[in-house]
Amino acid sequence: MRKKRKSLWRRVNENTYIQATSGLLLPMAFGVILFALWQTEVLHKIFHTDTFTLPVPTRILSVIVDNPDKVIQNVVATVTVAVIGLVIGSVIGYLVAIIATLFPRWGGGGLSIVAACNAIPIVALAPVMTNWTKDVSKDANIRSMVAKTLVVMIICIASMSVNAYRGLTELKPFSLDLMKSYNAKRRTVFFKLRIPNSVPYIFTALRVSIPASVITAVVSEYFAEYVIGVGRQIRENIVLAQYTAAWGYITVASLIGIVMYVILMIAERILLRRR
Amino acid sequence: MESVKQEVEIKINDVSVTFKDNKGNNVPALNHVNLDIKKGEFISLLGPSGCGKTTLLRTIADLLDPTDGSVRISGLTPKEVRMQQKFGIVFQSPVLFEWRTVKENIELPLEIMYWNKKERSERANQMLELVGLKEFANHYPGQLSGGMQQRVGIARAFGIRPEILLMDEPFSALDEFTKEKLHEDLLRIWAKTNKTVIFVTHNIAESVFLSDRVCVLSPHPGRLSAVVDIDLPRPRTLEMRDTPHFNELVAKVRNSFEGGSL
Repeated sequence: MRKKRKSLWRRVNENTYIQATSGLLLPMAFGVILFALWQTEVLHKIFHTDTFTLPVPTRILSVIVDNPDKVIQNVVATVTVAVIGLVIGSVIGYLVAIIATLFPRWGGGGLSIVAACNAIPIVALAPVMTNWTKDVSKDANIRSMVAKTLVVMIICIASMSVNAYRGLTELKPFSLDLMKSYNAKRRTVFFKLRIPNSVPYIFTALRVSIPASVITAVVSEYFAEYVIGVGRQIRENIVLAQYTAAWGYITVASLIGIVMYVILMIAERILLRRR
Repeated sequence: MESVKQEVEIKINDVSVTFKDNKGNNVPALNHVNLDIKKGEFISLLGPSGCGKTTLLRTIADLLDPTDGSVRISGLTPKEVRMQQKFGIVFQSPVLFEWRTVKENIELPLEIMYWNKKERSERANQMLELVGLKEFANHYPGQLSGGMQQRVGIARAFGIRPEILLMDEPFSALDEFTKEKLHEDLLRIWAKTNKTVIFVTHNIAESVFLSDRVCVLSPHPGRLSAVVDIDLPRPRTLEMRDTPHFNELVAKVRNSFEGGSL
């Protein structure tokens, strides 16, 4: 009896198909169970709460579905801030890394100062930026957008510059000697060796920056002058004790993060498929 | 052919190299090395680790400045020769760029030398054929075995038709079977091009099998302790390794290390 059970265990373990699908199925099963407990209010009993503070999933979903225009308007506002901040911040971060590589004497040290910016909490940065940008436009919406985008940018500059610098400087042994033996110019070394070498590191930075840009956009909306965005809606609804709507926007915020991450993963698969 | 080989190409004149260690002490790596290398010669720098053989190679390649003494290549300094892009180097690891295909890797130095696309492609195809990797032209380095990667490195080095080929323990990471195959390949390619080859190794049989002359270096401090002529006929075949004469030469080289056996 015991022997038979062991052989079944081994069969499951050695079956690559089961192993591959179980990697996907187990987390999904966990999610389904969690939602089932949530929907049937078992979760509420465990946490001693009620359906007013923690609405059941179907209620949350119906709030999203019933207000498509309002949800889309806020999603667009948040995604715009996150994506623009991400793109500009990453480009600036990469340029900072290039400058640090060009001037190795103080490049490494200078970067640690940039990296320290990452330690500033968003809640501290957001009001500063709101104050700083109060004269950029007469339109409160645009003013707020600029302030929020700046916060996202700062966060993205830090992670991109540190990672890209590693990609530009941590080269395979002897590759610089090889280039030197061909009498390659500094510019050639940059374009043919350093920059291609940094591509995987750009993706490492983006894996961190993308979720961070969404969270930063959401949090800086709390402190913005103009009331718009998924994050701001979470706050407004919690203040008004409209927990169902708040949970609806929390769900939407997570979906934005997941969708952006999946897009990155697909891009990485395509661009780095040969490595 | 013999008359060509009489012409001295590389003159190593009393070269010393001293490194500084972490504490700031001077550590001699090479001590007063004198050596003449003839044009078209296949020469090995043989010795245990720490004997300065790689240091000597790097000095010839202008990747390192000698502390004392000088190197002249046909009357020019190593830097001048490097500027003229006349060195081909093969390192301990293949140093292929993983974002380039095999063919693009071979084309890299030609790109740097501003060859046009058509000429680059022709030369790369030629080299691929020579090292027997024609069907792998569009593969990426990550898809190749270690031996194949090193063959790409050799193709890249020979592709620029260098005047001097410098090889720094190129086969030390490979298994014995792959190594023997590459020895034959290397000698075959060398026979076609007849460039000067300086081959760094710590393997006695390898140096005897490949070279016209074996320069034996001894460590602490690194110095040239003997130069052994290898009078095995060319082309060399793997069977020669089993002849008594080959073994005599191996023994002769082994006995020329200062301090006796290793």
